[in-house]
Amino acid sequence: MATADEIKEAYIDYVLTHNEQPKSVYIFAKQLNISEQEFYNFFASFIAIEKGIWSGLTAQALAELQPQEVWSKYTSREKVLAFFYAFVELLKSRRSFTIYSLKKHSGKLSSPEVLDDAKIVFENFAETVIRQGLASTELADRKFFSKRYKDALWVQFGIILNFWINDNSAGFEKTDEAIERGINVTFDLFQRSPLDNIFEYGKFITRNSKFRENMRF
Amino acid sequence: MKEQQSIPVTKVARSAKFVKTGFQVGGNYIKHYSKKLFNPDLSRDQLNEDNAEDIYNSLSELKGSALKIAQMLSMDKNILPRAYTDKFTQAQYSAPPLSGPLIIRTFTKLFGKTPGEIFDEFNLQSENAASIGQVHKAKLNGKQLAIKIQYPGVGDSISSDLKLVKPFAFRLLGMSEKELNVYIKEVEERLLEETNYELEVQQSIEISKACSNLENVVFPTYYPELSGHRVITMDWINGLHLKEFLQTNPSQELRNKIGQAMWDFYNFQQHELRKVHADPHPGNFLITPDEKLAVIDFGCIKGIPDDFYYPFFSLISANVLADKEKTIKTFRELEMIWPSDSPIQIEFYYQAYREMIELFARPYASETFDFSKNEYIESLYEYGEKLTKVPELKQARGVKHFIYVNRTNFGLYNILHDLGAQVQTNKFKPHIS
Repeated sequence: MATADEIKEAYIDYVLTHNEQPKSVYIFAKQLNISEQEFYNFFASFIAIEKGIWSGLTAQALAELQPQEVWSKYTSREKVLAFFYAFVELLKSRRSFTIYSLKKHSGKLSSPEVLDDAKIVFENFAETVIRQGLASTELADRKFFSKRYKDALWVQFGIILNFWINDNSAGFEKTDEAIERGINVTFDLFQRSPLDNIFEYGKFITRNSKFRENMRF
Repeated sequence: MKEQQSIPVTKVARSAKFVKTGFQVGGNYIKHYSKKLFNPDLSRDQLNEDNAEDIYNSLSELKGSALKIAQMLSMDKNILPRAYTDKFTQAQYSAPPLSGPLIIRTFTKLFGKTPGEIFDEFNLQSENAASIGQVHKAKLNGKQLAIKIQYPGVGDSISSDLKLVKPFAFRLLGMSEKELNVYIKEVEERLLEETNYELEVQQSIEISKACSNLENVVFPTYYPELSGHRVITMDWINGLHLKEFLQTNPSQELRNKIGQAMWDFYNFQQHELRKVHADPHPGNFLITPDEKLAVIDFGCIKGIPDDFYYPFFSLISANVLADKEKTIKTFRELEMIWPSDSPIQIEFYYQAYREMIELFARPYASETFDFSKNEYIESLYEYGEKLTKVPELKQARGVKHFIYVNRTNFGLYNILHDLGAQVQTNKFKPHIS
């Protein structure tokens, strides 16, 4: 009786050796000496395995961080930074597979299908963190835009992943830099900025000049 | 912040200049990418050109102040290196402090443990920013420690920044690529060494051991087992920076004591160790409550090879300057006069460089020297001014070692002037065999 993990590992081993998916579930199951049914008990398709690996890594990064003592003291910016550092550290153990998986399934405009489940996990996390940041006024609550903050973070997720798979620097130091700079820029935009003040000042002026006109009338 | 306090212009104005360039360069990127949206074939050349142009403009606007000293420090018109160091280390790296998570990551990557696990206490808030990193306070076994952490990717930026400005250096200095490369390489080497924290720890330990007998000079203890390629752990030293120290209105006696310590520190290294701490800017020193000079940064060490040491210091101490023939011969050895020079050129460069060496050597000429006098520093400035104006001096001359040896010594003279110290200059004399 095979477990989900065994099937996963066998699948990873297969794609890394052959640089392609098995021809069919039937062939793959046969090689593993399990029945097709056993395979389908755990996974609906090959893509589902890959999705599961990605969401698993994302969830694992979060699970490792949350028990840490500093976690509760972090601001939302630091939480997101810490997540990405933990995430790329985990990816290291699966570098060949992640590169294979992303390269195989990219090429489309939107984020690759294999990240669908990871996206749900990540956005869940991002929403919680953003809500915290809004509550503590670390982030600026802006009409329409605050709802889009999590999308901006998902974009960073894509940028960082992309950066990481192409990173040749020792210890992937360049990725660290990309995380530090990218997340800081993103959070700088989330914060109250001169633009908010300019906007509000404009509102104030228009309102009050109308007021004056009304008075004159 | 790593700053040359020897540059007599308000720091605010100078950094504003650098910030402005930063904005312009940032703007150039935006311009580049927005153009690229419509025209994907656009190459980066235009961008590099724009960037270098703005950097160049910024450099030339600084001419009156920073540049002048920088020029002089590097002896001829090969000003770029110093301007670079300032510009790029200040504008680029002092900007964003490392985030808490990145600090923790740096430690876990290096030691497999978080700073909280390694030290009894570790303050995630940095105490101050160094040029290419930041300093944190920590405690271990009751001892206060200073932890220097380097920003990621600094080394790469240095090399690429140097490449960026190179083409403008040719234009600015009127030198050929081959000539300039020698200098650029020397600067690049030193700058890259500065980013090598493993080397720094090793050098720090070596030099502080060699200098341990010097009076009134102290060093922090370094902990190699708690250091790595982006982290340095050393003792925390309580003390005042030069500027704060001067605000306390120290007595002349105390000024002399600190000045003497500084002089001894540098001249002992130059003449006994033949290796010198080549970054005499005030941020690298502290004056401790028990009136000693603490040296806290060994990032930049310049080795002085024999084929430079002997000719150069013989000019200063062996009375060579009195003999024109010998002087010219030495100038030839140091490549300040070239074989291809005409007799008129020889005479010209002889006069110009003789003046410089004389200025350089003046503190050595008597047993004690009073650096507090404005007259001496002013003549240094005047000479620097002249260098910028005489077109013949535009050419970069002299072996590459001049860059750091001059920077070190003129930097030292400037600090001693700020201190207003009288110094006994015959203590560690050049050895001329």
